[in-house]
Amino acid sequence: MSSFKPYQNEEQSLAIDDVTVENRLDRISVYGSVELTRDRAGLQHAKALKEVIDAVVTALEQDKNLPEHIEVKPTEKVKNPFS
Amino acid sequence: MFLPAYKLIKLHSLVGLAALLLSAGCSAKQSPCRDHFEEGQAPVITNPNLAKKTAMLCFEGYAVTHSGISRTPIWSAEHLTARRIEEAQQLKRVNRFHAEEQLPPADRAELADYARSGFDRGHMAPNGDMPTENAQYESFSLANIVPQSPKNNQILWEGIEAATRNLALEDKDIYVVTGPIFEGNNLERLNGRVLVPTFVYKAIYDPARRQAAAYVTPNAPGMEYQTLSIAELEKRINVNVFPKLPAEIKAVKMNLPTPTPHGGRSGKNKPVEVDSLERQ
Repeated sequence: MSSFKPYQNEEQSLAIDDVTVENRLDRISVYGSVELTRDRAGLQHAKALKEVIDAVVTALEQDKNLPEHIEVKPTEKVKNPFS
Repeated sequence: MFLPAYKLIKLHSLVGLAALLLSAGCSAKQSPCRDHFEEGQAPVITNPNLAKKTAMLCFEGYAVTHSGISRTPIWSAEHLTARRIEEAQQLKRVNRFHAEEQLPPADRAELADYARSGFDRGHMAPNGDMPTENAQYESFSLANIVPQSPKNNQILWEGIEAATRNLALEDKDIYVVTGPIFEGNNLERLNGRVLVPTFVYKAIYDPARRQAAAYVTPNAPGMEYQTLSIAELEKRINVNVFPKLPAEIKAVKMNLPTPTPHGGRSGKNKPVEVDSLERQ
């Protein structure tokens, strides 16, 4: 997990229970659900989530040029080649 | 001596492999593709425009026909068994999205096409169905990926995938074909290269019930979905998803399970089945 480098690539996808974490250049997507049960599995999942979130916070805090909001590249409109 | 297709594939260079797949498709009886299809028969594209620049690829957990025009899959086919899903649920790990090197560079999507687009890389054959490390890795090939609205991919569509897995667990054995729908006069395109589907479908045949049907959702935020008979779906998408399935089974819509986003814990915002869907 320590190899998770937030905002550094478009490749990485982690699974923490049923939560998916995806690394993008402009965002980290976190979705799904996880039960942080009061047991060893719960602790393991909580630590894994914390590691991801800590890495994200660190990366964002180190970025001195954080914009208020990122912008996505607009799509273009093209004729449907299949119709 | 006759070598099974999968052994031949290993002996070829990547270039040779592409040529082999294009020439032989996955129709050879020994092909590892066959197991992914109902009665061993791959889906058939019935619209010539949709069939242009396509290539069929066989992977451990799914087979796909990829379009070099949309640079997306047209369909991804899987055979889901209860055992496979149980194995998949034990396997949670780190994975890596990647361009499909078996495809010619001009025909395939690259990670850069999706970067900063605002679209998710939506799996057609989902990672959650994949029972081994290799099968999981292969599901992250961009040959199996479409640009998907994040709110669709992460909520309603995830719920459709989960409900499909539950059906495989209950009925032991189902066939699934998943893919994008490109409708209307105009489409959106990413980075001058990758077409954005307007809808997404998932067709299911359940041999235990001898029944079949398909889910359809807009590629947009929202909790509304539609279900269609296989006959209705095939007419709409110009793909015969289960070519060997008798017409009487295709004609009758199976009662599909309600999607279960977030393990069924989606709170007030629940999936709603509707009779028709508008493009958004």
